[in-house]
Amino acid sequence: MALPHLWIRVTSALVPRSDRGDWIEEWDAELAATGGGMRNAWGSLGDAWYLRTEGWTMDAMWRELKAAVKGHLRKPFFTALAGVTLAIGIGANTAIFSVVDSVLINPLPFPDASRLVSYNHEAPGLGVKVPVIPHSQAMYLHYLENARAIQSFAVFGDDAVNLITDGEPRQLSASQVTQEYFRVLGVQPFLGRAFVEGEDRPGAEPVAILGYPLWEETFGEDPSVVGSVVEMDGVRRRVVGVMPQGFQFSDEDLWIPLEIDTGAPDTGSLQYIGIARLADGATIETANAEMEDLLLRFAEANPDELGPEIMEQTGMAADVKPLKDVFVQDARQALWVLLGTVGFVLLIACANVANLFLVRAESRQREQALRAALGARRGDVLRQYLTESVTLALGGGLLGLGLAVFGVRGLLALAPTSLPGILKIGIDGSVLAFTALISVAAGLAFGVFPVFAYGRRDISNALKEGGRSSTTGRETHRARSTLAVVQIALALMLLVGSGLMLRSFVALRNVDPGFEPAGLMTFRFALPAAEYDDPARILAFHRELSDRLAAVPGVQRVGMISGLPLTESKTAGPMEPVEKPFPEGELGPIVERRSITPGYLEAMQIPILQGRALTWEDQADQFRGIVISENLARAFWPDESAVGRRIRGQGNEFSWEVVGVAGDVRFDDVEDEPLTVAYFPVLRGTPEEPGGSLSMDVVVRVPGDPLGSIPQAREALRAVDPRLPMINPRTVEAVVKESMASTSFTVLLLGIAAGIALLLGTVGIYGVISFIVSRRTQEIGVRMALGAPAQTVLRSVVGQGLVLTALGLAVGLAGAWALSRALASLLYGVSATDPLTFGGTALLLGLVALAATWVPARRASRVDPVEALRAE
Amino acid sequence: MSVRMTQITALVLQSIAAGFRYGFDVMEACQLPSGTVYPALRRLEKAGLLKSRWEDAASAHAHGRPRRRTYALTDEGWRVLPEAQSRLQEIRRLLGDFPPVETREA
Repeated sequence: MALPHLWIRVTSALVPRSDRGDWIEEWDAELAATGGGMRNAWGSLGDAWYLRTEGWTMDAMWRELKAAVKGHLRKPFFTALAGVTLAIGIGANTAIFSVVDSVLINPLPFPDASRLVSYNHEAPGLGVKVPVIPHSQAMYLHYLENARAIQSFAVFGDDAVNLITDGEPRQLSASQVTQEYFRVLGVQPFLGRAFVEGEDRPGAEPVAILGYPLWEETFGEDPSVVGSVVEMDGVRRRVVGVMPQGFQFSDEDLWIPLEIDTGAPDTGSLQYIGIARLADGATIETANAEMEDLLLRFAEANPDELGPEIMEQTGMAADVKPLKDVFVQDARQALWVLLGTVGFVLLIACANVANLFLVRAESRQREQALRAALGARRGDVLRQYLTESVTLALGGGLLGLGLAVFGVRGLLALAPTSLPGILKIGIDGSVLAFTALISVAAGLAFGVFPVFAYGRRDISNALKEGGRSSTTGRETHRARSTLAVVQIALALMLLVGSGLMLRSFVALRNVDPGFEPAGLMTFRFALPAAEYDDPARILAFHRELSDRLAAVPGVQRVGMISGLPLTESKTAGPMEPVEKPFPEGELGPIVERRSITPGYLEAMQIPILQGRALTWEDQADQFRGIVISENLARAFWPDESAVGRRIRGQGNEFSWEVVGVAGDVRFDDVEDEPLTVAYFPVLRGTPEEPGGSLSMDVVVRVPGDPLGSIPQAREALRAVDPRLPMINPRTVEAVVKESMASTSFTVLLLGIAAGIALLLGTVGIYGVISFIVSRRTQEIGVRMALGAPAQTVLRSVVGQGLVLTALGLAVGLAGAWALSRALASLLYGVSATDPLTFGGTALLLGLVALAATWVPARRASRVDPVEALRAE
Repeated sequence: MSVRMTQITALVLQSIAAGFRYGFDVMEACQLPSGTVYPALRRLEKAGLLKSRWEDAASAHAHGRPRRRTYALTDEGWRVLPEAQSRLQEIRRLLGDFPPVETREA
């Protein structure tokens, strides 16, 4: 049959049966007579739809709607049960979707945000886990001058400044930015002005632009602050502008210019992150290609900074990508998994409600048969059912929206702090649309179920029986059993998923980070460089603070490090043994470099495996000894002792003597293997460039509650320098916990989802089995009257439940196995197809299902034959 | 039952009055897609302005084609036609020109 005629037959399904024959003939004849192709045939859909909906006047629909709502209100228990089930499913989806929407779908809150790109590098060969490889000052100037595919380009770095307000020192987070920064983002200050040309060059007057919250809280929304001078870190800065409310890029409080000397830019330190706005007509691809070309030219012109061997070994390349990608790196996969998970929960909820509707439809057979006898068409019945189910689902959706509002708040309270504030999470228009959509979809899904289950039944039969059937129809049976199987399968898939995540979490918890976090308090301080410009003064500060803290009663050990393990601070570079340096162009292992004070290793309980720890004497004589981690010692001197050897930064003249080897520590992430580490003294400059660590994390080991020591520690810090704020005091256990936050967050959410699925699935199978039993009461009564022992009845009913359960488990295991790949990258220390998890969860669900079967089965075996036969 | 005289229903009514008898012919005459013309035909028929009947099958087969459904104005249809035409003119005046319906030669 030609396509147009086939199409006529497809669309004819919509035409009321009484008119269908004529209708097909008319369309066929017109097509035949005019030789019309598909172009003319399409319209048959409009015609058929018109005929189908002819009677659907607003008035009739309104009446139907009112009838449906009234019907729901007449059955409050049914309605509440179905509504709450749906609300849980829809609410969970709405909550997760609102996060997905703002993190993955919505653009960043800047004008024309689709043109904003991250303009940086990648270096897969380095093997370090960072979102991007940033720029050195020299590289930045090179791109700024030569790139044509971008219309504006800026770099920024994180900084912190101390500000004294009301006598209290406070640390603020600042972004050091080049002057094009605000132009790139397309946002201007609402008071004052942005930075102007020259303000990011040495010698310019120090200026600052305030963020709205800082202006509001600290400066009391006083517009006259613009133009005034504020002292920060001993530098007097003129405030030139205030950014509008809601503007924030990397959770900073204020912005200061990044000073770059165009005549002699800093080279070698790749620490400034680039953002750019694409030029008209440019795409990410063209910008990337151009940047690649510019990078090669830069490397050729600057072999000292980026030699050809380094380029090759690190695989350094241009990396232009949508700016948003930088923010959502890790969240992406976990979020999709979560959205899939709550999707499953909704499916299970729908299956439950479909089952309820089936039960209800069964008891309404007589009503429907009567309607049919009075001339109602099948379509009318369908419409009635759908109106009822969709109104119910919309009600559930409304309730679910309420749950979601609280759910999102809870989510944000629990969420890892790494969720950037720039992604404004909340319920907005698109979330509402999503909720409405899934509500209607859910309503349609479980609304059509009874129609298909009952649609084929003989109406006159139903009238005669009036529901008094000894056994239910085969189709409804099958429909209901299918629902039970689907529910069990879905619940098992969720249980397996959350089981795997739980095992990962346990594995993570059991990882030895290489130190003992319990009993440790930590805080950070940052010395203003303008005042602490003398190595002796820096060292004196560290020593005095250490002594004062150690003198606090109860304190056992005190130490400091420039960047606690498992926090984000990062300084690393290639190193080499002095006696066998790497050949030119070959890169040594990337070593984490940290400054520590004596007492740090002991306070953290990191073991000294060879040699000794650092002492204050090492600190005073700043060019003497360092301690390295065991894995670094093994890398350089596999079979010999490292103590007494000398190592240096690759290519440097100046070298250090290894005085001790310490145990390995997990620095980056609990789940990543320990990094190689070199522990330097506080003063780790070279004779040419003396210098020391200005910002340190302090660790204090105390018996009992570590947080109890905060007040004395604050006093100690104040006694040494009253202008220094104590930054972020907390327990080291909290630091460790936070580094596992995203995993435990996912575990928690998956666990909640799986718990709901288990509950709904159990209710589901209980409902199915008890309904089957109630329908079989008469049959069971007859069998027992004929002498069947209660045992046989019990076995038969339980057997029926077990068959369904086994089927569901089989389907669920297959499904979980197929989906496990999506989880694989989120797991740690457990295989995605871990047999123990698969078997254990299947067993658990099987037992729960068995229990759900047992209750109705017991009831069946106690049926009184006489009662049963009289029943109904 | 009455029908709201829209631009489309008026066009369809007028083209049938002009002698186009088959659905697809009306479609051609009005230069409207079938999905628009047919619902209009149904509405007009239901309102009693049009009546439809099947052609004689034998004569259609003699022409080597299946029988087609033909549409014609009822007395009521002829009665409201001037009203429809003036409505069309008014719309044309308001919205500018749209495809005119020619009279089919007898």
